[in-house]
Amino acid sequence: MPPKHRKIATTTPGKDPRIGVFVCHCGLNIGGTVDVDKVAEYAASLPGVVFSAANLYTCSQPGQEEIKKAIVEQGLNRVVVASCSPRLHEPTFRKACAEAGLNPYLFEMANIREHCSWVHLHDPEAATMKAMDLVGMAVARARLLEPQKEITVPVTKSALVIGGGVAGIQASLDLADSGFKVYLVERSASIGGHMAQIDKTFPTMDCSICILAPKMAEAGRHPNIELLTMSEVEHVDGYVGNFTVKVRKRPRFVSDECTACGDCTHDCPQIAPDEFNAGLSTRKAIYIPFAQAVPSTYVIDLDLCLNKEGIMACDKCLQACKARCIQFSQKEETLQLQVGTIIVATGVDVYDPTSLTEYGYRRFPNVITSLEFERLINAGGPSQGNLIRPYDQTVPKKVAFLQCIGSRSTRSNKYCSNICCMNTIKDSLLIKEHWPETEIKVFYIDIRAFGKGFEDLYRRSRREGVEFIRGIPGEIIEDPETRDLILIGENMLLGEWYKYQVDMVILSVGIEPRHDSRRLQQILNLSTGQDGFYLEAHPKLRPVDTASSGIFLAGCAEGPKDVKDSVTQASAAAARAGILMSRGEVTIEAITARVDPEICTGCGMCIKVCPYHSIYKDEETGVARVVEASCAGCGTCAAECQFGAIKMLHFSDEQIYAQIDSATDNEPEKKIVSFCCNWCSYAGADFAGVSRIQYPPSARIIRTMCSGRVSPGFVRYAFARGAGAVLVSGCHPADCHYINANMQTEKRIRRIHKEMRRNGLNPERLQLAWVSAAEGQRFASIMEKMADFLKRVSPEEIRKTKEVYRKYLGEEAAQ
Amino acid sequence: MTVQKVWSLFDRSQLYECYECSKCSGSCPVTLAGDFLGPRKILLKCLQHGSGRVIRDPLLWYCTTCQVCQDRCPQEINIPELLTGLRNKAAKIGNIPERVKFTVEKIAKTGRSVLGFKVERERKRYNLPPVVEISKEEISKILAETGFFKDLKIDH
Repeated sequence: MPPKHRKIATTTPGKDPRIGVFVCHCGLNIGGTVDVDKVAEYAASLPGVVFSAANLYTCSQPGQEEIKKAIVEQGLNRVVVASCSPRLHEPTFRKACAEAGLNPYLFEMANIREHCSWVHLHDPEAATMKAMDLVGMAVARARLLEPQKEITVPVTKSALVIGGGVAGIQASLDLADSGFKVYLVERSASIGGHMAQIDKTFPTMDCSICILAPKMAEAGRHPNIELLTMSEVEHVDGYVGNFTVKVRKRPRFVSDECTACGDCTHDCPQIAPDEFNAGLSTRKAIYIPFAQAVPSTYVIDLDLCLNKEGIMACDKCLQACKARCIQFSQKEETLQLQVGTIIVATGVDVYDPTSLTEYGYRRFPNVITSLEFERLINAGGPSQGNLIRPYDQTVPKKVAFLQCIGSRSTRSNKYCSNICCMNTIKDSLLIKEHWPETEIKVFYIDIRAFGKGFEDLYRRSRREGVEFIRGIPGEIIEDPETRDLILIGENMLLGEWYKYQVDMVILSVGIEPRHDSRRLQQILNLSTGQDGFYLEAHPKLRPVDTASSGIFLAGCAEGPKDVKDSVTQASAAAARAGILMSRGEVTIEAITARVDPEICTGCGMCIKVCPYHSIYKDEETGVARVVEASCAGCGTCAAECQFGAIKMLHFSDEQIYAQIDSATDNEPEKKIVSFCCNWCSYAGADFAGVSRIQYPPSARIIRTMCSGRVSPGFVRYAFARGAGAVLVSGCHPADCHYINANMQTEKRIRRIHKEMRRNGLNPERLQLAWVSAAEGQRFASIMEKMADFLKRVSPEEIRKTKEVYRKYLGEEAAQ
Repeated sequence: MTVQKVWSLFDRSQLYECYECSKCSGSCPVTLAGDFLGPRKILLKCLQHGSGRVIRDPLLWYCTTCQVCQDRCPQEINIPELLTGLRNKAAKIGNIPERVKFTVEKIAKTGRSVLGFKVERERKRYNLPPVVEISKEEISKILAETGFFKDLKIDH
């Protein structure tokens, strides 16, 4: 149903706007493609613009000073900067405006770098035209901007750290030492993570558990740290500074009074492979993960234990325990925590090379992974530190390492796992240290010894006589008699074929995102990159922040890294979280919904679609009301309201209509009016720019906070104005930053598609696309496809569409 | 015989994915038997020298197109397709072994790659019906259209 009547932007300019436009050269980044002076000249001609200038670097100190000067001297009451993405520099310029006494919400940005100059490098003319359009749209919106007041909310002075590996431990200790309460949630029975499993660390050859155990113990007894092992985060609610976290704590069945004497284990009849030793030894149903485990409490694996569902079939451990700490009555608990910040340090899984059948892992007993090697060479491991062949427990004389297993391949993980080269070099030295006569061959593609002290270790390894052979074996054949392994391949540097017989092969396996990382991604509304690791807010300047305010990343959850980098990042994440918590309050963007009680009919549609349940019906007046503190500002309510009763602050209908107007002023049939959500698709378009992926210059992007903000009216209006095509894009369905607001988008688009079909229009002209922040390539190919489609849209079709949607132009225009 | 022409038979951009791990050559069953260059070297020579020299190498015909190189390639490069393209070019400049030429001539003339009377004899032994007659003219026509006879300098 069409709205009764909506005010049309062009006919209602804001109160006497005095707009200043600053067009940035950004060195050659923009100036190299776009004719900046021409754009600045064009801006000066736009209604309401009283000042226009081109700067070399607007974001520089002199550039900002110029803005401030112009605000004061020219009496500007709106500022438009045409430069890079607002996701990068909007805060910078907002601050500059505020310093000159202008409300920061009276500032608007035109993205002529990521969305224009960088993606149309080879077509300066079209890029300049597009830049002019983008500036025009920004100015049109700026005219209607209104000052807003930001609200501040208190920040709870406690943090949640998810994952008890070395990164999680470090982040917890740093925060706890700064005086904040920390909940350290670990899903296994002990903290320590993968580092606890490793024998030595590179490049210093420190004993891994020896340097980790003191930190683990400290985390275990720190008064500010509440250690929650056997626990997983179930649900997170709220926003920066005020998260409510639900944690599910599985029972351990052994109380804290456990003295870790081990009598229970001795008597337990049930046996299973020991996870900590990578399955190379066994453990009992009641066990402690490893000697240095924190908490130093035994745990019962109920899947293995004979006592199931309350039926006691065996009481050997109960009999053996003198301290009486075994409690089969323990139940699963759900804890509710209030925290201000969250640090995600969930780590990685190790690549399983079974699928690479040519190497025979799991078929040939003497082919092992580097993690299994770590347990074999470790003094606390299943062989007490003796390197032995799993098949016959003899010490191997010839050992081969194979590099890049599960890394740098489209068949497994495309990225380099960062750690395997140095790990192998370290392992080769460990073997040489204990058994100097061992022949060691390392088959590699490239050795990446990039870090501090790494090259020295590599040199040491070569001097010890470790052979480095360039060329990965094509396959491994097992001698069925001796169980020796034969490696066949090409020695690239000699240009010869080799066939080596070795006693043991170690596959240097890579690391990959946790198999269930998607679950936490959805709980916390995180984004992931193409490789599946959690995405940082900015790859260079905000490497530990996430796009969700108040949530930080540490360790391998963000990408493969060694112990040192994990610890560095953990401290960085702790510092970032600490800043928020020590300040004690945080300002929240003033982008919220407001209901006009005069227009609201109390139909309740907005209440139904609000993902945050922030709208309720005021029983007294019978109209809807918004709880501003919990409104996240997605705008799906405003898009749903048929009566135009809901106003989204800073993303009002008028402002968006004005942008559409401006975008479709010239040659609208050649334009794609594109609505992109701030978190995913706008960022995806930015990413296409940063990666310099070229696509046709037909898109005119209008930023909304969520694709749910796009009301059907916008789409109809764009068509009525003669737009060639319309694109609505948002986050992938499960990744919506406003819980599930983009589900409403999908419903609305489907409705318009139906409507278009009914009116004999080609529904293909309205596209809905999900583009994540990492999918620049995808965004470009969508643009490519749509631009291609645009060529086939006939003027006749455009005319017909305009006719069908004519009534949506508003009263004045329709006359 | 320009380099350009070989690339027209193959998506060149794929080859740039190669980072020289040599897993293909390590997997190639032919490399152990003789002086065959191996998939990796052929690919690299094509990229850096052009295919001119590669297609003159008679050992190019050692490849059995078993496709193990592609199966194991970490970058999933379609190496057999490159080999096929190269061999098409090689045949055109006369680099084709007599045995292979004999077989293709056989196809041109009889529509089959194997000797007919031997097949018939075997089929008879297992009480199978005789092989269906093929229209040689049709095959000849198709091959003539594709420039097969002209390229391989075969009279028909």
